[in-house]
Parts: sequence; C-alpha cells; structure tokens
Amino acid sequence: MPLLTVESASKSFGALRAVDGVSFSVEPGELFGIAGPNGSGKSTLFNLISGIPFGPDSGRILFAGEDLAGRKGHQIARLGLVRTFQRETAFDTLSVFDNALMGATYGGKGPVPEERSAEALAFVGFAPADFDRKAAELSVYDRKRLMLASALALSPRLLLLDEPASGLTKPEIEALIALIRRIAATGATILLIEHVLTVLLALSQRLMVLNEGSLLVLDRPDVVVRDPRVIRAYLGDRRHVA
Amino acid sequence: MTVLGQILLSALFQGSLYAMMAVGLALVWTTIGVFNFCHGVLMTLGAYLAWQFVDPEALGLPMFVALPLALLVVAAIGFALQALLIRPFIGRGDVVLVAVITTLAASSILKNGTLLVWGPRPKSIPPLAPDTIALGASNVSAHQLAIIAITPVVLGLVWLFLNRTRVGLALRAVAQNEDACQLVGMNVTALYALAFGLAAALAALAGIFFGGFKFMSPDMGTEPLTKALVVVIFGGIANITGPILAAYIIGLFEAVSIYYVGFYWTPALLFAVLIVVLMVRPEGLFARSSRGLA
Repeated sequence: MPLLTVESASKSFGALRAVDGVSFSVEPGELFGIAGPNGSGKSTLFNLISGIPFGPDSGRILFAGEDLAGRKGHQIARLGLVRTFQRETAFDTLSVFDNALMGATYGGKGPVPEERSAEALAFVGFAPADFDRKAAELSVYDRKRLMLASALALSPRLLLLDEPASGLTKPEIEALIALIRRIAATGATILLIEHVLTVLLALSQRLMVLNEGSLLVLDRPDVVVRDPRVIRAYLGDRRHVA
Repeated sequence: MTVLGQILLSALFQGSLYAMMAVGLALVWTTIGVFNFCHGVLMTLGAYLAWQFVDPEALGLPMFVALPLALLVVAAIGFALQALLIRPFIGRGDVVLVAVITTLAASSILKNGTLLVWGPRPKSIPPLAPDTIALGASNVSAHQLAIIAITPVVLGLVWLFLNRTRVGLALRAVAQNEDACQLVGMNVTALYALAFGLAAALAALAGIFFGGFKFMSPDMGTEPLTKALVVVIFGGIANITGPILAAYIIGLFEAVSIYYVGFYWTPALLFAVLIVVLMVRPEGLFARSSRGLA
C-alpha cells in the first residue's frame, strides 16, 4: 500500500487554479522528487498535503490509508507526516536544543523527548557544544540543519522537504545531499521539492514535474529531464519566443 | 522617611502595578499579535470577583481561597473571550483591526455588566496585609509593601514558566512562528487560549492589588489599561522583559515628577517623554525588531 496517495487534489485562489487535479502516490521508503518552474504549484501542493496553512478545495489525500480531510496541520504532523518550509522556520530566541525539543515534545512519539532531540541534532551533525547556542546565531546552512533536526525529532514516517537547498553554497548543497541520503538510508520516505535540478537528479528515485498547477510528467529522473514537454515548460516554446 | 525614600517607595509601588498590567498585555501581543482592550476590564472583574468571594456581605470565603478563586475565574473568562473575540478571526489579514473592535466592544459590555451585577456603590476588598509598618519616621501601608514584594516574585514565576517549562517554551515559539509550531505538532489554538488566560489572571491580580487600597468602580480598569499601553509601547511591545523594566522606570519618573513638578503636569510630561522615546527608538526602549517573549 502506498504511504501517501494524492487523488485529484485541487486548490484555487480566486480565478487562479494553483493546483489542478494532481494525482500521484509515494511508496514507503521512496525518495520522490517534485520539480517545476516558478508558480507551478509545488509548494501549494505541499500545503495541501501537510494542511499548513490550508488543505485542498477538492480531491483526497490519504496517508497510510487514512484520509487527512478535516485534520488540522498539527494533527497531521503528529501522525508522522512532517514538513519543512522553504523559508527558515527556526525559533530564533530558543536554543538549538529547545528548537528540536519542541518537535520531540509536541509531535514526537516516545517517553524521553530530550533523548530524541539530542539524537536528531547529532544525526544532522550538531555537536553537544552547539546545543545551547541561540538559533538566531546560526548560519543559513546550520539553520537548515536545525529545521531538519526539528523535523526528525518527530520521528516522521513521511518527510516533506520544500527547497532545502535554497540559499546554500555549492559545498553546502553537496553536504545537504549527503545528509538527505543518510536520512533516506534510515528507511524514511521523503518527498522533495527542489529548484536545484542537480539535487533532484542526485537523490530522486522518481521525479514529478508540475506546470501551471497540473502534473506534466512523472517518471525516472533521467527520462523526465529528456522529455520535450519538460524542456518546453522550463525553457519555453521556440515558436512563442520567436 | 527621607524624600528620596518616599519617591523610591512610590516608584516601586506604581511600577509594580504597571508591570503586572503591562506583562499580560505584552503576553497577548507577543503570542497572538493583537492588542487586548479588554485587559482593563479583566482587572476590574478580578477586583469585583475577589470582593464577591471574600466580602462578608457576599460569600465571605477566607482570603486564601477567595483570591486564587478570583484569579481562576478571570483566567477562564480570558479563555472564553479569546475563543469568542479573537479565534474566529485568526488568519485574516485584518485580525489586528478586528481584534481592536471586538475587544473594545467586549470591554464596554463587561464594564456595563459589572455595573448591572454589582451596582454603582464603591466597594473595596481587604488589603493583602492590613497594618502599617514604620519606616523611619513614616508609617507605610503593609498592603503597598506586600505588592512591592509580591510583584517581582509573580513576574519571576512568569519568566521561569516562559523560559524553563515546555509549555512556556512553546508559548515563546508560537510568538515567533505560528506555521513552524504547527509543523512540529503544536496546537496553536490551545496555546493562544493559554496566553490569553494567563494574561487575564495577571490582570485580575492587578485588580486585587488595586481593590485593596482604592475604592473599586466599574471604570477602575480604564486608567491602568492606558498606563499599561504606555508602558508596553515605551518598553517595547515585542517581549515581556522590556515592559517590566519600563514599568519601574515610568513609576520612578511619575514619582519624581509628581514631587517636583506636580500631579497635574505629570501625565503631559510622561507623554512628552514617550513621544521623544518613540522618535529615537520607534520599536521601544528595550525591544528587538521582532516578537519574541523573552
């Protein structure tokens, strides 16, 4: 049974149909990439799945066979469907440890949130000496790692990563790819939105491309990047350019 | 007692009352992001409910039962007000303006409700400590000294709650990023209700302080609310430590000004200083540029 099934999910803002009848499913343990030009509906699709800040207008989203309709964002997170945002969402005035502790306490499962917080922070590479630092003092990459640790502290069954490589330097992107590989190696299922195609090609087992809110192509990454529809969506149609 | 001693005592007393009111107001702003214009009437309700529970003409309960009971009831009223006046509008772009209107309307309704239930006759509740204490050549009200001593303890407990407990950390987190809180499984609605309830209890405690040394009236919360607004704007609305420091600074400023300039000129001077502070530091004297509850 797929871990995540999206059936004809749609969302409109006035006359704009941001996500238009998108259907796909993600198998347990899969690393599933989502690409698309700006405004293609990638992040809106994540919003619909995670319920933060809104769910779909129509269609169904099933997580481990359970319909998410009517559930609030924090309830979906507690089910183990955990998301990170493209923008940095660390709590600036809280320490590194307390940031992860919030996830372990409110969204995680198990008796000792402190242990899970420390494990998650160690997993993404924080040394114990960093635990007391304020999140506001961290570099962009360290804040991205902290967001990942906060998400991992919930012991997610499905991790939705929204453009984690944005704003990072090339060496940082390479380190991030290695980190996401390590997360996937634990058996976690990952849904990854990314603008940096090298990241998607390096990580994804299947790649879905959205365009103008609709599903354009869904296949192996090497097949998808050669698809003329994808090339047209990214680079435009010569006839129109001329 | 020397003039300096009297000024310091007055500053500490007024500063304590202002701090107690301002912290609740700042707590609601930093977590929910709205101004609660009911805060003054919640103070009034705290005083009247304490009278209802403790006065021999009413229920006549012992002080140690009546006062915590009044705090709990007002905290519950705060919970309910949040659910009715704020929660339905969370997420709307104009929530700040809508909350001004809804909390002002509720303030008016509750003020008149207080008049209907308890009548216009002035009331008072017993002081926290009934006697006077000799300080040098002067006698000082033990109630005022109790307020000066209790306020830092209560505010210290609030600080410990916000900084040393999981729920307190969650309140600080929700003050910074509501979406991120949902991402990690926090029930933001419940945290908002908690913040409003805690702020209401702090307002009620200020009401109990006031009711022990002044006659109570349904309008008694109006001036303290105005002063609390001045304090949080002066200190910086984005956290709670700024308003605490500002409360004591304004208490000292008022005490000095009343002694040397006069009672009637003091409010004008205070607002002049506030305007100058806002011209130099628009975010307030001790504030950061973002909300943060620390």
